[in-house]
Amino acid sequence: MTMEVRTPDAINAFIDVSPIADWLGASVHEDDEGRYYRLKFDDAHIGNPLIRALHGGAIAAFLEFAGQCEVIDAVPDARIRTINIDVDYLRSSHAADMMARAAIKRRGRRLAIVEIMGWQKDENQPIAHAILRLRIGENSSDD
Amino acid sequence: MTEPAIDPDVGARLAKARAWLSHEHSLFRSLNLKPITIKKGKAVFSMDLPDTFADAHGGVHGGLKTIILDSIFGLTVFTTLSELAPIATINLHTDYLNKAKPGMRAICAAECTAQRDDVTYVSGDLKLEETGALLATGAGVFMVGTHGLANGSVS
Repeated sequence: MTMEVRTPDAINAFIDVSPIADWLGASVHEDDEGRYYRLKFDDAHIGNPLIRALHGGAIAAFLEFAGQCEVIDAVPDARIRTINIDVDYLRSSHAADMMARAAIKRRGRRLAIVEIMGWQKDENQPIAHAILRLRIGENSSDD
Repeated sequence: MTEPAIDPDVGARLAKARAWLSHEHSLFRSLNLKPITIKKGKAVFSMDLPDTFADAHGGVHGGLKTIILDSIFGLTVFTTLSELAPIATINLHTDYLNKAKPGMRAICAAECTAQRDDVTYVSGDLKLEETGALLATGAGVFMVGTHGLANGSVS
């Protein structure tokens, strides 16, 4: 059973102040397996107008955002900055919503490493996989 | 204003793809892409960094940098093809360096570093147009000739 649940305040606040979350149509949900994130499909996410596949960069942006939300929830008061991201594109994507589930593989005082899996029709047939490395802590922002 | 350096043969082959990007594609239209150099194995474009892609701290979100790199990398793959063919991103690595504010304009330069059978390797960077500050570097690997099964690329 899938349902929209009360999102942790830190993630809500992060989504509210992130314009890219609006572009992605990002939302947070929960099912029996735990929290997951949804990209609400929009034509702006298309990379190839002929076959109407999602843009690889849009997929990467969504996976990065999901990973950031997960760390924000784990360390609500910290600032975060993405160091880098690796994305593998595993299957064809389609003009439809995309989901992502993120798992923090390692979190230290200054560094978090997050694995994110993205899918559309079937979670067991993911379309993309990402490893996200984040700098966390007071000095993580490059403002 | 300097005219873009576009190889006539490569430019002609890419005309259809460039038309998509600049006129028919809402994502790329919002970036206001302008060609600076297009030749075999190399593409340089300038683009806007729109407010739409801001992060929680008021800077440009890393996702936009990846979107730009993937897009220009894909175009660079096209410049190496004798005939347009579907391509797909196999994998993409992006390092995020300096921060940029929305509203600024950036330049993305990409180069094909190798080709082996139907796999093409591309690397490049994204810099602020005004200062030359390095915003991101990236490397991508693309499959050529995916016959409509392309996953999320500009192909």
